[in-house]
Amino acid sequence: MAKVYVGLSGGVDSSVTAALLKQQGYDVTGVYMKNWTKDMPGFPCPWKEDYQDAKRVAVQLGIPFKVYDFQTKYKQLVVDYMIDEYKSGQTPNPDIICNQEVKFKLFLNAALKDGADMIATGHYARVKNGQLLTAKNKDKDQTYFLYIVSEDALKKTLFPIGEFTDKKQVREMAKKFGLVTAAKKDSQGICFVGQVGIKEFLSQYVKTKPGKIIDENNKIIGEHEGAIFYTIGQRHGLDVGGGLPYYVTGKDMKKNEVYVTTNLDDKQIWGREIKLTDVHWINDEPNAKKTYQVRTRHRAPLIKGTLNKLSNKTWQIKLTDEVRALTAGQSAVIYNGQHILGGGVIV
Amino acid sequence: MGKIIYLDHAAATPVDPRVMAVMQPYFSEDFYNPSAIYLAAKKVKKDIEASRAKVAAWMGARPSEITFTAGGTEANNLAIKGVMSQFLAANIVISEIEHESVLKPAQQHKYKVVGVKQDGLIDLDKLEASIDSKTVLVSVMLANNEIGTIQPIRKIGQLLEKLRQERLTKGNKTPLYFHTDACQAANYIDLHANRLGVDLMTINGGKIYGPKQSGALFIRTGTNLKPQILGGGQESGVRSGTENVAGIIGLSKALDLVQKNHHVETVRLQKLQQLFFELINKQMPPAQIVGSVKNRLPNNVHITIAGQDNERLIMELDERGVLCAAGSACSASNEDPSHVLKAIGLSDEEAQSSLRFTMGQSTTESDVKQTVKTLAGLVNG
Repeated sequence: MAKVYVGLSGGVDSSVTAALLKQQGYDVTGVYMKNWTKDMPGFPCPWKEDYQDAKRVAVQLGIPFKVYDFQTKYKQLVVDYMIDEYKSGQTPNPDIICNQEVKFKLFLNAALKDGADMIATGHYARVKNGQLLTAKNKDKDQTYFLYIVSEDALKKTLFPIGEFTDKKQVREMAKKFGLVTAAKKDSQGICFVGQVGIKEFLSQYVKTKPGKIIDENNKIIGEHEGAIFYTIGQRHGLDVGGGLPYYVTGKDMKKNEVYVTTNLDDKQIWGREIKLTDVHWINDEPNAKKTYQVRTRHRAPLIKGTLNKLSNKTWQIKLTDEVRALTAGQSAVIYNGQHILGGGVIV
Repeated sequence: MGKIIYLDHAAATPVDPRVMAVMQPYFSEDFYNPSAIYLAAKKVKKDIEASRAKVAAWMGARPSEITFTAGGTEANNLAIKGVMSQFLAANIVISEIEHESVLKPAQQHKYKVVGVKQDGLIDLDKLEASIDSKTVLVSVMLANNEIGTIQPIRKIGQLLEKLRQERLTKGNKTPLYFHTDACQAANYIDLHANRLGVDLMTINGGKIYGPKQSGALFIRTGTNLKPQILGGGQESGVRSGTENVAGIIGLSKALDLVQKNHHVETVRLQKLQQLFFELINKQMPPAQIVGSVKNRLPNNVHITIAGQDNERLIMELDERGVLCAAGSACSASNEDPSHVLKAIGLSDEEAQSSLRFTMGQSTTESDVKQTVKTLAGLVNG
């Protein structure tokens, strides 16, 4: 039977992944990826407990356990990238980069080198003949984070959790297998900083200065702690007090200014056209004439749109409906029904 | 799963039901603040003083020489900081295998570390050589928490007495105090302060079948400590804070029970320890005993098994109902290898293959047999 290396994160999904594959007769090895973590004051990173849970699951399943130390690479590829993107005014998505660079490159290659035939992770997604499909559990579907994974990598990947329609089933399986992670809470927050918010994290790396918050009438309505912390479409955390909520419509990193409106219909936060860069198609390039579905944030509703190729890496999407808060640096992912075609980074 | 075999008594001991029983009234019936004036409170105060006298008696000390603390770590901190913060130019000498609660406070002052030999026992010549004219405190633990080795405290006491006499003749007025951390030893060893020759001694309720966060420091009359917790002046001003009455009552009862029985329990456990070692030798030839076999607490079995991942073994044993510990966790946990195992010459690999079993009152012969059998099954595959 094929040798599968399962990425064990110490969570319930990856635990059940390993258990199911073992039950199906695969020769399973559990691997904990030690990624870069930072202890923030008052928010100790929970990785040690996760690592011990991962190892305990391997013990409970009677499978070998390994640790891959990706700390240095992770810091370079994911953390530094994220900080740089924020500095330039973007709101990047660390999970997408982590999947692309760490799980489906570093981990896959290390596993293959160690004799694995395939890898598996606890993602809510499915693979069929090198195609990425949505998970049966629509609510938990994680394909938004997986659009950059290559076809070659997908052909060597198993996602058994994607077959479940309900998270409860996964927990029940974990219980049935007697796994220590059965009742463990789903992880929250940025993976490498634990429970801390992105603001506290960035504050450690980027010097910020207070700046003006300006409304749609060019009126200065307050002060912010640094434009870097604001995301277009964001509604909360402006501290300008009272009245209607404000929405971020834009920001100027050079001037360190944040622009807001109370008008939810403001044109600036609604958009119908999206320009994408760094476009990646998992299988073949899609047909520009067809109508597909587009997702601009994890769990955001799918919106119909047509594609227009501008250059190899640059595409344009025309949506049938306007969407709020198209955020530069986030990704737009293209779906054809349950099939994920690929996507790109919103400009 | 059948019966749980608990072999981590160096980490925590269950509270003896007799201890629990005497503590019980102080949570609700006799909850009064011992400093209050009404008679109900005075009774509580009197009970604390009776407990103090009982603890003192086991140390051959006066009641006024006992200060209650919240556990062993606090008592060690008080002893070291309490002395050292009064002598800024002075230094403290400690052994290389002290507990972190001695090591870390010592590191905040001028300090010197004396190595141990491969058997885990302090080198007395090196100790003598380390003590200079400015040394004001020597701290050496009575028994080690990881490898169970018992240090020659009496000999160190005699050495320090000799050095004190020399200081007198030289006109050096710097005092030379001797502290011992007896947290692990109190179950099995006589704690008479004069016989040991110590000026300061730490005990911990959580290791002697008493409540956690209860502890005491013996402070010989004439050894002045700078208080580390300031407030209402309880414990003669050395340690402020409303007394943990139930904890104090429990600690003294626990000490009473273990000290009364320590000869009998030592003999019983020595037999089990010997059996443990014999069975390991027979069933797991690659396993090596860590630390001195002769000068060792009767409940401690510490081994290293080449090529084994101790963290996985602990989990495997746990799955099979055997609870034990490691001196040093696997490298992936990013923890520094145990300074104790390093001090006695173990490599990082050996340290990460080491397991500590610490027996206790509940441990039986069949527990030992079952444990070695289970472990051998895992190791020999």
